[in-house]
Amino acid sequence: MVNLTIDNRQVTAPRNATIYEAAKINGIHIPILCHDNKLKPFGACRMCLVEVEQMKGRQIPACTTPVTEGMIVTTSTPDIIKARKLVLELLLLNHPLDCPVCDKGGDCDLQNLSYDYKISSNRFHDQKFQHKIDYNNPLIERDMNRCILCGKCVRICDEIVSFGALTFIGRGIETKIGCEFDEALNCEFCGSCVSVCPVGALLARPFKFKARFWAMEKKRSICGYCGTGCNLTLGVKEGKVLTTVYDENQGFHRGQLCVRGRFGYQFINNEKRLKKPLIRKNGALVECGWDEALQLAASKIRNGSETAAIATPRLTNEEFFLFRKLMKGIGSENFDHAAGYAHKALTSGFARSLGSAASTAMVNDIQKSDMLLVIKTDSYETHPVIGFEINIAVKDKGVKLNIVSDKNGKLGKLPGARTFVHLPGSETLLINALCSSVIKQKLVSSTAASLPDFKEYAKGIEAFSPEKAASLCGISPEEINSLAADFASSKKAMILFPTGVAYPGHDSELATALANLAILAGKVEGEGCGLLCLPEKNNSQGAVDTGFYPTGKGLDALSVFDAIEDGRIKTLFLAGENPVVSYPDEARIKRALEKLDFLVLTTLFPTETAEYADLVLPASSYAEKEGTFTSAGGHVQYFAPVIPKAGDSRTDFEIISSLIKLTGGEAASNPSEIFAEIASTLDGYAGMTYENLGENGAFTAVKTRPALILPQTQAPALRKPEEFSLVTGALLYHNGTLSQFGEGPMHVSPESYAEISRKDASRLGIKENDTITLTSDSGSMQLAARVSLRIPEGVVFIPNHFSANPVNAIWSGKPVTPVALSR
Amino acid sequence: MSEAVEQREEEQTEEIDLEPANRVIDKFIDMPGNLMPVLQGVQDEYGYIPRIAADLIAERLNVYPSQIYGVLTFYAQFHLKPRGRFIIRVCVGTACHVQGATRIVETFYDKLGIGHAETTPDLRYTFEKVACLGACGMAPLAMVNDATYGSMTVQKVEEIINDYNQRPLKSGK
Ligand code: SF4
Ligand code: SF4
Ligand code: SF4
Ligand code: FES
Ligand code: FES
Repeated sequence: MVNLTIDNRQVTAPRNATIYEAAKINGIHIPILCHDNKLKPFGACRMCLVEVEQMKGRQIPACTTPVTEGMIVTTSTPDIIKARKLVLELLLLNHPLDCPVCDKGGDCDLQNLSYDYKISSNRFHDQKFQHKIDYNNPLIERDMNRCILCGKCVRICDEIVSFGALTFIGRGIETKIGCEFDEALNCEFCGSCVSVCPVGALLARPFKFKARFWAMEKKRSICGYCGTGCNLTLGVKEGKVLTTVYDENQGFHRGQLCVRGRFGYQFINNEKRLKKPLIRKNGALVECGWDEALQLAASKIRNGSETAAIATPRLTNEEFFLFRKLMKGIGSENFDHAAGYAHKALTSGFARSLGSAASTAMVNDIQKSDMLLVIKTDSYETHPVIGFEINIAVKDKGVKLNIVSDKNGKLGKLPGARTFVHLPGSETLLINALCSSVIKQKLVSSTAASLPDFKEYAKGIEAFSPEKAASLCGISPEEINSLAADFASSKKAMILFPTGVAYPGHDSELATALANLAILAGKVEGEGCGLLCLPEKNNSQGAVDTGFYPTGKGLDALSVFDAIEDGRIKTLFLAGENPVVSYPDEARIKRALEKLDFLVLTTLFPTETAEYADLVLPASSYAEKEGTFTSAGGHVQYFAPVIPKAGDSRTDFEIISSLIKLTGGEAASNPSEIFAEIASTLDGYAGMTYENLGENGAFTAVKTRPALILPQTQAPALRKPEEFSLVTGALLYHNGTLSQFGEGPMHVSPESYAEISRKDASRLGIKENDTITLTSDSGSMQLAARVSLRIPEGVVFIPNHFSANPVNAIWSGKPVTPVALSR
Repeated sequence: MSEAVEQREEEQTEEIDLEPANRVIDKFIDMPGNLMPVLQGVQDEYGYIPRIAADLIAERLNVYPSQIYGVLTFYAQFHLKPRGRFIIRVCVGTACHVQGATRIVETFYDKLGIGHAETTPDLRYTFEKVACLGACGMAPLAMVNDATYGSMTVQKVEEIINDYNQRPLKSGK
């Protein structure tokens, strides 16, 4: 700590603090314009000038000057005020004074500072800028006439987002912010630049003229898309969510969001939301009352042995817990989520290898590690804000990054990152080879060597020596050995991998293989170490924790569809799930749904699956309810409703609770009561209450009991030379099928496509956007081609989010589906 | 090579051979702080920085395309459009101005059919007004590439153009 004097007060500050930070810690306010806590000091605007006695009273920028012992600082003198006024006057010289129609009004640093410093007239006169406003993309308006050249947008897009869309163009008075060759913005649309812009130069277009800043209530919530669990502040007016509001102090991610979180909120107030229960009468769905609907549902599910339930991993912990009770109460063991396989990495892989179905690392381990092993560059696309954490770790903290993936991606561009591109479907094999190599290179930790099953495991894994595995996974023995050595000999190392419906290869076997690698290298636990599974949806981890998956003789989600076809299951209860679009093999799913006696569905929207339902119950979104979500790494967070429920919709909690009552059970009164029950039954949640979760939440306790188990490893199916390997996956702009109703995401990523390599494209004479036909054993479909260098030869990638032309027309649900491709 | 580069390569109406750019990049690839020398080297090869070469540099040096554009627009030495074989510069500094530089400039505009910082479609001439060239004694002053022409007159403008119209377009490099 350093002792110094600021404004006649004796204060202390950390050794590497700047004057600005030292003042801030001690509650002394210094005005800033170009400085941002998350970004490196820049020192461009001169708003933060202070006087330092040791520097002969010279005015120096507080945001870039480090504190020194005994420093005497004055933050406000007549001279300083004069200097700051000059800064503001010069900025206002060219800045248009269109505050009355600027969405930033009330939240604008320039406006607020001009007010604070009473800049009511200007001693100077000059012309206003005449830059053309960039309206070329649907999400971000760029009005460079309002820009004060603080460079925050340029810096955040580089330092945190690592996209680098923006730069200073030109020099002198002509300088402006723009993209390469002054083209229109075409980027990730994470909105980070909009969040930090101190003025109205960068604005969210969907929010244009929606509300004055001060007229909105700002309400905290949790993003309802992916398993990262980002915190959100929603701008609410008259019961409608109008925007997301940036709060740099919120969450581990300090207010950073991805395009889905930032611009995907519009599904909440989407006009297509269902407002009334719908019942099928004479073949058509017609509105009905809740009583009739619930009575009917209760009477149909009563026969538990013929009833199954499948839920979306977007329900709350409380809803899952209650739902499980309902199913047990009616005598059914057939309940599941996430297509029945997307959770198996946890429920089966981690459970047997690590002793519990939970990650051993947390998101905040990423920046504390020495080396990250990321399975699939898709981690950036599936969990973009975790991608930001990786960017910061690699660029600021010097953390090494190794990626094992079936394609190239953005993460691979980080400094020093190595990407090992393997043949599709060979990930488990490759991880086995890494394990074998760790043993061969004698890098096994002593704890692992003393495990009872070590000898047997070591013998079994010999079959996967790097030499043997090389040709099957397409990576040379030397590379395998070097990666294995890199991982095992790093002091701290961590493994990250996404799971989800689109990643059937990320299963229990891969999870076990990865756990083995961590166990062998002694990296299962501890700061900066461990395994971090990145589950697809906002509450995937919670669905697992609350046990909403079958054990014993219960049917898993895909087996349910078999059981429907052979008549064992007659009634299906779907909560929020849309299997017609998202589950493998569309034809088979539709066949089964048609065969059902009764399908009841709770849903926000009239989805493709609703067309098969006998009863459709309108559910409330997360913004309309209370509960907890558990995100990647076991982060449990509480959220309260921010708006009233849409129409006559009810929360899944209310619906399930009513059904429990109607089927003879004891109804729950409210989510907090059920959460208390969760805390008293689940070890990981012991001691948690809504009150003590507070704003920061809590982490589930995870007990580990490592075991070395040889995974069942299949060599990737060999495709015929003329065939392609179809792999599915997630896009940065989407999450599941929900983001299709989010508007923002659909603006920038409206439809599906088939991505193939440049080489294959030119061999087959296929150009960007050509229509191509893809045929597999399960069907055939046509898609627009996208030609890229990211994809290796012989591979075709199709995202799995889109209801129009869904990939499951041809996708089998295997890690790799062989497909024929023609023009 | 990046997607962007390949895409642009297809869109390019006029074939640009990237071989020279690749050669320059190869030479500096392992050198720290190589962006400026690479950009200068590439400009020496093409006379300007073609868009597709900028993308190639971005990809191979792993820097953002936007960052390259930032550098290219910050330094006056870089050109983003093809330049003429002969660069005509007319001084409009104070001394030259007083000696009638404006008329010289206008005559060039007239005869060449282009304005300041523009290039004739046949890529023979690029015309630029410049500030004091440091030879005020010879005002009004013009330069064509490295050759200096003092005490310019309207008559001399015509002579210069007639002269350079005869010269071969290829630099023989
Ligand atoms: S939206 Fe995100 S990716 Fe796009 S320019 Fe802004 S910060 Fe960069
Ligand atoms: S656009 Fe906004 S953030 Fe970017 S430099 Fe201008 S004022 Fe700063
Ligand atoms: S979608 Fe995921 S990464 Fe994006 S803001 Fe929401 S929780 Fe964060
Ligand atoms: S805030 Fe310190 S110079 Fe801008
Ligand atoms: S003013 Fe023209 S050379 Fe100096």
